[in-house]
Amino acid sequence: MIKIDSLTKKYGDFYALKDFSLEIPEGTIFGLLGVNGAGKTTLLSILNGLVNFDSGSVEVFSYDLKTQKKEIKAISSIIPQNLAFYEQLSVKENLDFFASIQKSSQDSLQRSIEVNSLKEILHQKASTLSGGQKRRLNIAIGLLNNPKIIYFDEPTVGVDPRSRGEILDSIKSYKEMGITVIYTSHYMHEIEYLCDEVAIINQGELIKHDKLDNLLSNRVSDKVLIETIANAKTASLKVKLLEKNFIETTQEKLCEVLNILDENAIFVKQIKYGTTDLENYFLKVTE
Amino acid sequence: MFQAMIKKEFLLLIRDRQALIALFIMPAIFILIMSVALRDQFKQEQISFNIMVLDQAHSSNSKKLYKSLLENKSFHLTNESSQAALKIIIPKGYLQNPKTHTKLQVVVLDALKGDILEIFKAKFTKVLLKREIASIQDKLNLMLKTKIKNPSQELLLDADQLFTLSYQKSDDIPTSTQQSVPSWIVFGMFFVIIPMSTVFINERKQNTLARLNSMNTPLWLMIFSKVLPYIVVNQLQVVIMLGVGIFIVPLFDTPALLINGTVGAIALLSLALSVSAIGVASLLAVLASSAEQATTIGGILNILLGAIGGVMVPKFIMPEAMQKLSQISPMSWGLDGFLDIFLKAGDISMIFTNALMLFAFGLITLIISMIILQIRMNKGL
Repeated sequence: MIKIDSLTKKYGDFYALKDFSLEIPEGTIFGLLGVNGAGKTTLLSILNGLVNFDSGSVEVFSYDLKTQKKEIKAISSIIPQNLAFYEQLSVKENLDFFASIQKSSQDSLQRSIEVNSLKEILHQKASTLSGGQKRRLNIAIGLLNNPKIIYFDEPTVGVDPRSRGEILDSIKSYKEMGITVIYTSHYMHEIEYLCDEVAIINQGELIKHDKLDNLLSNRVSDKVLIETIANAKTASLKVKLLEKNFIETTQEKLCEVLNILDENAIFVKQIKYGTTDLENYFLKVTE
Repeated sequence: MFQAMIKKEFLLLIRDRQALIALFIMPAIFILIMSVALRDQFKQEQISFNIMVLDQAHSSNSKKLYKSLLENKSFHLTNESSQAALKIIIPKGYLQNPKTHTKLQVVVLDALKGDILEIFKAKFTKVLLKREIASIQDKLNLMLKTKIKNPSQELLLDADQLFTLSYQKSDDIPTSTQQSVPSWIVFGMFFVIIPMSTVFINERKQNTLARLNSMNTPLWLMIFSKVLPYIVVNQLQVVIMLGVGIFIVPLFDTPALLINGTVGAIALLSLALSVSAIGVASLLAVLASSAEQATTIGGILNILLGAIGGVMVPKFIMPEAMQKLSQISPMSWGLDGFLDIFLKAGDISMIFTNALMLFAFGLITLIISMIILQIRMNKGL
């Protein structure tokens, strides 16, 4: 478990984190949400022992961050937002280098290669990789030390949808390996897809922390989401169309919308009551 | 861990083609060009000036002066002002009345450097003195009624006739190669500032250093692991540049480099210079905010240290204040050391102080870099 108690970090007069307390359970995928400058990256950097903090206390898997930084670093791994490897080296040379630095075993090296599907591109120079392949290499380096906790700082920025899907699936598999994952992203659907728990940070303070299901519960909204069978006519109807086949309405207006669909011979695939998405929730609580 | 860091540095360096060109080929070309260009530097007799003479006096004296200039190989007379570097005006009344001394006027038409103008003044003064003496001699002839033939030829006005210049041993005569190679070795070695600082800043900017830090890599290792690969590069540079001086330069009808000093002295001095250059590179790497900034500042810094240190202009012709200032440039310490080795058959004892200063400078800058990097990393870079 990671226990953060009254953590404060200031840059000059600016509070990057202010009296911040949070508990992250072991073996979960934990989402950190916040607008740019909310304090997410500072929090990750502190938890990794990269940046010192001003006051408070942090315990990572029973290690005290102030006195046992080295031990914490040994069981942690951060996947930075930037591609933190050497573009001039090949994939293999990069992996070998970072493995040597951490005295990683051959098993860890092989596992990193396999989980991140790097076998085919091992001898390719990193600078010639696609955006998705670079991201996968960036993540693979983080697995080399066989960590207990991995911090992902927006790992899918600039990645095509296919590679993004592969990356998200690989991150889900880390949970099965017993690794605790702390994940920050601007893509709310990624958090929805991956995370068990979510904390929302705003201006260095914790706004909300709960299980994802609780955040998206019926109590929050009376909205109804109707998914239709694809039909070109849908776009011309007087309804609130979210995407191609998704109509958003309220419980009060549901009958009216269903009648319109019936009159136009548009078939309904499914109806979801009381839905909200994380994005709406996030915007509401950070207003 | 250290082995992996060193291997990584070598791989990064080997794959940076532009850096390799800057580090190895440029100094070699410098040596070649400068050795050939400076080959005739001290043969002033071969320097000539295009001049235009405007005779306003139309006297026998002005005609004699015109004739003297015409016969002198150092001056080419032209009537086109566009082709002339200097215009000499012989005013009315020139040398006619001893009481009112009418001066000649010299107008500089071309952009001539100060040292070239000094050469012109010396050559022109020589012509005028010969003319003045001949004129006095003519008057004496008239008074004494005895004619002395060609009086100016009997006067010892040429430097060659006044004194002889020689060296104790024939080996001591410095060739243009011996004078230019030390400068370009020092200058070339300091070029590591650019590739090293650029690689370092990229590591900083892309969070690779932060990643290494998160992997429990000590800061001293991050800095000092860069020292060894660049020392190797610097030593290779020295070998190649000496090779160019010894084997390539003679192919261009220019004297080969003669190394009078000991190999030990060369090795010690070039090692010290490496540490010094790497120290400057580290400092720049932790202070500059981007690779572009480091490249620009690194280039300017290299040229400035070179200019102050006597690489571009020999220190002995600098003003006194400038000569004192040159002592702050590590390039100056290295250059003096190499000149001692090449020209004065220097051994380790002769260059020891210079090497010590360079080592101390390098270590101090490396330690300062480490402290600054630590502060920056604690602040999240």
